[in-house]
Amino acid sequence: MADEDKQSPLKEVPFFPWLTVAADMWLNLIKATPSNPDTSVMTQTAVQSRFTRQLDTNLNLLKSFSRMMSEPESASAAANSLSAMPEILMKMAKSGFEAAMQIQNHLVEKAGKIGKRTEAYNFENLDQEVFKAFSDIYEKEFSQYFKIPPLGLTRFYQERFNEMLDKYNVFETMLAEFFSVLYLPLEKSFKVFQEKLKQMAEEGNLPKEAKESYTIWIKILEGHYISLFRSKEYTDTLHRTLNTLEDFIIVRNRMLEDFLQMLPVVTQKEMEELYKEFHVLKKRVKELEKQLNISPNTLTVIK
Amino acid sequence: MDSTKIPLDLILEKMAEDAEKAQKRVTKASEILQGQLHYEIALTPYEIVYEEDRVKVKHYFRNENAENKLNVPLLVVYALINRETMLDLQPDRSVVKTFLEGGIDLYMIDWGYPTRKDHFLTIDDHVNGYMNNIVDFIRKRHNVPQINLMGICMGGTFSIMYSALHPDKIKNLITTVTPSSFNTDRGLLHVWMKDVDVDRMIKTFGNIPGDLMNLGFLLLNPARLMVDKYISFMDNMDNKDFVENFVRMERWIFDSPDVPGETFRQFIEDCYKKNLLIKSRMYLGGKRIDLKKLSMPLLNFFGEYDHLVPPQACNQLSKAVGSKDVEDVCLETGHIGIYVSSKFQKLFAPKIVQWLKERDKEEIVTQTKLSDVRKKSAKNGVSKVKRVRHADDSRAGSTLNSSTLRER
Repeated sequence: MADEDKQSPLKEVPFFPWLTVAADMWLNLIKATPSNPDTSVMTQTAVQSRFTRQLDTNLNLLKSFSRMMSEPESASAAANSLSAMPEILMKMAKSGFEAAMQIQNHLVEKAGKIGKRTEAYNFENLDQEVFKAFSDIYEKEFSQYFKIPPLGLTRFYQERFNEMLDKYNVFETMLAEFFSVLYLPLEKSFKVFQEKLKQMAEEGNLPKEAKESYTIWIKILEGHYISLFRSKEYTDTLHRTLNTLEDFIIVRNRMLEDFLQMLPVVTQKEMEELYKEFHVLKKRVKELEKQLNISPNTLTVIK
Repeated sequence: MDSTKIPLDLILEKMAEDAEKAQKRVTKASEILQGQLHYEIALTPYEIVYEEDRVKVKHYFRNENAENKLNVPLLVVYALINRETMLDLQPDRSVVKTFLEGGIDLYMIDWGYPTRKDHFLTIDDHVNGYMNNIVDFIRKRHNVPQINLMGICMGGTFSIMYSALHPDKIKNLITTVTPSSFNTDRGLLHVWMKDVDVDRMIKTFGNIPGDLMNLGFLLLNPARLMVDKYISFMDNMDNKDFVENFVRMERWIFDSPDVPGETFRQFIEDCYKKNLLIKSRMYLGGKRIDLKKLSMPLLNFFGEYDHLVPPQACNQLSKAVGSKDVEDVCLETGHIGIYVSSKFQKLFAPKIVQWLKERDKEEIVTQTKLSDVRKKSAKNGVSKVKRVRHADDSRAGSTLNSSTLRER
């Protein structure tokens, strides 16, 4: 340890003695400032005095800190931490890089499966792994940041704002999956259409008009969509997309209510309460009108 | 592969021809689209005779010179989804016009556009509230104890509920593309609605947005509704009549009011998920809807190729109701084709006029009398249940003639 102290580069630099000298100089300067006995400037003097006392405290703190740092053990610890800094930075960068690589590898691996998904007119057991992987990554790597409990006076507002961002991201991911599923019949129909054309060409029956080819393709496409829409996978994806959209809209509305509350306008929640009361009252009025044999036709009133 | 079999020269020649045709078509289409187009809908004159909240009742002016004018007025109840203007889409394809020319005194409910304040309205509010008040209003206006009722799609379901709850007020019931039995997997809506989280939907949207429902309907057949339809428009955009009618249909189809939240909730929960209506186990305003009490003559139309309300969702009604005068008519067309297809213009509305005329002169029977009639019929083994199927000639490529009508 003693050897290490001797070898410390900081020991060579007169940093800590300079700090002590500087603190001493400022303290002396403050003490040398004359006090003003004039009562007419009492308030100003009081402020100055408070400022001086504060500065005095700070400089004393600095001085004791510099004294402490001048101790051989402290200086050595500081020197060690500085020399370890590049290593720490390297470690942080490495772990971040490894996480990024892991995510990328995961995505590339899953994305490679896109082309190999399902056979024509078959939409069972869709390989939506790529989207699941993306959802998992989002859940594990990003979503948690939006779930860190906010603190302080504005914690509820911040929480709702974070929740909205989180739900929006989840919805976007789900929407991408939904569109990808909707795109599948298109992809498959082109594949089947090409095979059909090949077969027709071999038989010498190639359509002579573009319209004829189009009619063949649109029938194939329609068939694929009907197969897809009847699959459980599609129904599940549709409902999950709808659910994430609804989740997002609910929290977005809640957040907007926060903003609206700051403005002199009614919020949706308040209007809903009013509508409910209005509805109940109207029903009661109509019931009373019926008892009195009054037609609810507003035109009879106008006429 | 034998390359000599591919008539490349013919294909290229055809492509050149097509390119020339396309050029001409685009030039003419440009003139048409920039010229004066008439694509207004619902032009048949009417007056508003009843108004309650957002709901209005249209009364059309019938041909007073028509022979065999019907004594009993007809009230048409449209669905809460889309608008009743579909029945009067274009001058030469108007169910409204055919009814008026046939001597029907026609009333039609315009449900209007629900706003957030309407989201607490239930099916009970629509059926036992608005519909009942309107029926009473028409009965009073014409001084008749009963009126004829016709329902379309969801409006038909409301009409079934109403007729079962208030059989004394309805003389004849006509249901068209009306879902009454929901436990089928033939229609995608029936499949998708089984697992939908309706509570969450209501919490999110309040009322169910019309645009969201339209998106759902487009997704039922994207190949036809989002691709083929517009390719067909491009193919025919040099035809002014086609363009005008196409735009009319677009105007109607995307004119979608929101559906009141609580009504939607009950429709999905009680009908789509639990299928209570056909089992006579559904309740409205604390009263059970017993389909056996639906005792008036019933004419039930549905479309063989209806992808929204498949035949299986419609054809169970005739077996479930108490009426002995029931006719099922299956038309070989889709959900909207029944009303707007040029072929079915000559079948659908005239058939209703004829069916109503046959029953217009009959004595209006009270419930007591009706139960006597039923007892007598049952004694004699008389039960008038007819099933008819009408083919769509456009599919067969032939012209309309009586041979296309065949008994099932």
